[in-house]
Amino acid sequence: MRTGDYKQTYGELVALIDSPPVWLWSAVLLLALIVAPYALNAYALSFLTIILITVTGALGLNILTGYTGLISLGHVGFLVTGAYAYAVLVSKYHMHPLVGFLGAGVVPAFASLIVGAPSLRLKGLYLAITTLAFSFIINTVILEARWLTNGARGISVQRPEILGISFDGDAAFTHLCLGIAILTLFATLNIRRSRVGRAFVAIRDNDTAARVMGINLHAYKLFAFVTSAFITGISGALYGIYLSFVSVEGFPFLLSIEALAILIVGGLGSALGAVLGAILIVLLPEATRLVFSLFSGQLDATFTTGAQELKSMLYGLVIILFLRFQPRGLVGAWHDVRRTWVHWPLRY
Amino acid sequence: MRTYLTTASLLLAATVFTAGNALAADPGITDTEVLIGDVEPLTGPPALLGVAASIGHKIAIAEANNAGGINGRKIKYVLEDDGYVTARTIQGAKKVIEVDKVFAMLGMSGSGQSIAVMPVLEKAGIPTVIDVAPVKFLWEPARKNVFVVGQSYEEGIIHLVNYLAEKNPGKKWGLITQDDDYGITVRDGFDSVVKAKKLNVVYSGNYKKGQQDFSSDMLQLKDSGAEVFLAGGIIAENIAMMKELEKLNLKPVTGIFWPGRIEPVLKLMGPAGDGIYAVDYVEPFASEAGKAFLDKARPLVSEAELKGINRYTMTGYAAAKVLIGAIERCGKQPTWACTISELEKTKNVETGVMAPISFGPGVRFSNQKLQIMRADAATLSFKPAN
Repeated sequence: MRTGDYKQTYGELVALIDSPPVWLWSAVLLLALIVAPYALNAYALSFLTIILITVTGALGLNILTGYTGLISLGHVGFLVTGAYAYAVLVSKYHMHPLVGFLGAGVVPAFASLIVGAPSLRLKGLYLAITTLAFSFIINTVILEARWLTNGARGISVQRPEILGISFDGDAAFTHLCLGIAILTLFATLNIRRSRVGRAFVAIRDNDTAARVMGINLHAYKLFAFVTSAFITGISGALYGIYLSFVSVEGFPFLLSIEALAILIVGGLGSALGAVLGAILIVLLPEATRLVFSLFSGQLDATFTTGAQELKSMLYGLVIILFLRFQPRGLVGAWHDVRRTWVHWPLRY
Repeated sequence: MRTYLTTASLLLAATVFTAGNALAADPGITDTEVLIGDVEPLTGPPALLGVAASIGHKIAIAEANNAGGINGRKIKYVLEDDGYVTARTIQGAKKVIEVDKVFAMLGMSGSGQSIAVMPVLEKAGIPTVIDVAPVKFLWEPARKNVFVVGQSYEEGIIHLVNYLAEKNPGKKWGLITQDDDYGITVRDGFDSVVKAKKLNVVYSGNYKKGQQDFSSDMLQLKDSGAEVFLAGGIIAENIAMMKELEKLNLKPVTGIFWPGRIEPVLKLMGPAGDGIYAVDYVEPFASEAGKAFLDKARPLVSEAELKGINRYTMTGYAAAKVLIGAIERCGKQPTWACTISELEKTKNVETGVMAPISFGPGVRFSNQKLQIMRADAATLSFKPAN
C-alpha cells in the first residue's frame, strides 16, 4: 500500500513535474489559458492580463525575498525603471520592441547593483529601508531627467509588433504576457533547482552556515538582486504597455506592498505560491464584490464606488488572517489538502 | 444524419439571426433606459474632484429624468471608482463598456488616467465627453468619439499671469510649482508670459508632490522680495503656503489655479486667503449663475452630496448636459454614430455654469472662455474680479 509520495532518485527530487496527472492538468491549464482570451470579455480579460503581469513581477521578487531572504520594499523602483527603459527605447528612439524588452531587463538589473551593493552589509529591516529609499530616488531621477524621460509628462507606449506578429489586440497582448509569464516561471523553477538556487536558499536559511559551506555571499546576493530586478523590469515593461502611458504616477509605492502581500499570501519561497498569491490578490476585490452583490445591490454599489478603500482593507485583512492561521500561505494550504487526500483516513 | 444537419443548420441560422439583431443596436439602450458610464476617483484625496464631478453628472441626469428622460427613456448612471490608480481606470472603463454595456461615457478621472484610457475609448468607439482634467493630449490629435469640455491648463495660467501682470506693472514675481505634469504645465504657461511681458522673476521654486511643510520655501520667497506670487499648489499645498505667508506677515498679490479653487479651501486658509486671485472657466458660486445652479441642485441631490459640490460639479454638469442633449437629438433610436455626429454639431449650448459650449467638424475641444475671480474670506466665496 502506498503510504506517501517518496522520491527515490536525485532526478525525481529535482524534477519540475513529478507525475503524469500533473503533466496532464498543467497541459489542460495551459490550453485553457491560451483559449481564454478568445472567450472572455474585455473586462475579464483585463484581469487575466493583470494577473499574468503580476505573476511575472511576483516571481521576480520571489527570487530575492522568497529564495534568498532579502526583503525589498522598493521593488516598484525596478518596475518603473523597466517600464521607462522600454518606453524610452521603443517610443522615443523607435527601437525594436525586443530591444525594448532587453533594455527593460538590463537597465533595472544595472540599477539593482546600486541597491544590491549595500545589501552585502545590510540585512532585514535595514535592507528594506535601503530598497525603499531606492524607489524614491529612482522616481526623482526619472522626474529630473526630462531630456530622456519627458519628466512628469510621461511617455505614450504603443502595443508592440514582434516578428511580424501584432500584439495590438487585447487577446494577442494577453498571449504575450502569458508567454513571458510561463518563461519566467520555468526560469525561476530552474534557478531554484540549480546550484544557484540552493545557494540562495542556504543564504536565506543561515548566511553564516552558507559561507562556511563555501558560498560566496557577495556574489550570490548580487546575483539575486540582478536576476530579480531583470525579471521585475520585464514585468514593468508589460505593465507600461498595458497602461499605454508610462509615468511615475502610474507606479505608486503601494505596488511594492502588494508584491510583498502576494508572496506572503502565496507562500514565501515558492514559485507556485507567487502564482497563487498573484491570482488571489488581483481577484480578491472583484471576487468579494461579486459575492456581496449576490446578497445586496446596495453592498455591490458600495464596492463599486468605494472600491479602492475596501481593496486596501481587504489586503490588510487577508495578510493578517494568513499570518495568523496559515503562515505558509496558499501553498501550505495546498500541501495540507494534498497530504490529507493521500493519507486519508490516517492523519499522517 | 439528415436530422443532425437540419438541427445544425437551424442552430446556425438562429445564431446568425441573434447576432444580427445584437449588431443592429448599439449597447446601453433598452426600451426604457439609456446607460451612461463614468470612472472617477471616489476614494483617497483626489476624491474631492471625482465625487464632485460625479455629483454634477447626477444633477444633469436627475434633471433630464425629471423632464421625462431622453425621448421617454430614463437615464441610468453607472459609476466606478478607480482610486486615482491608472490601471484601475483602464479596468473600470472596460467594465462599464463591456460588462455594464453603457451607451456613452462621461468624466474619466485625472489627466494621466484619461490619457491612459484613451486607447480603450478609441477602440470601443463609444461617445465620450471628458470634463475633469482637460489636457491637450485628449484633443490633439482629435479622436472621432472623444470630446473635451473645458480649457487647457496652459491657457488658464497664461490668462491669470497676463491679468496679474497688467494689474501690477513693474512688480517682482515669485512662483512655486509641483514636480509633476501639472506643475510643468503651470511653469510652461508662466514662462511664456514672462518672456512676452519681460516680468522680473525673483523667486522660482519647485516642491515635491505631497510636501506639507512650506516654511523654508516661503522664507525664501520673503527674502526674494516677491510682490506678486503664483501659488502652483493644488489644495493642501496652497493652504499651507498661505498659512506660512500669514505667519511671516507677508501679503503678496497671490494667484491660484482652478484645481485649487474650491470654496472649502478658503475656510481652511482663513483670513490669509482673502483677496487671492483665481482663474477658471466655470462660474463662481457667489455669482448669479452659481446661485441659480445651487438652487437647481438642491432638490436633486442628497444633503451629503450637496456638501460635496465644488467647481468640478459644474464641469461635470455641463458635460452631462451636452451629452444628454446630443443623444436626445438623435430621436427614438439613438446610435453611437448619430450621438457622435450630434456632439460634433454642438453649437453654443447654454448650461448656465460656463460660457456656451461648441464643438465642430474635427474640433473636439470646447475651448471655454476664462474669467478671473477673487476670494472673499468673509463670505468664503470667489467673486468675479474686474
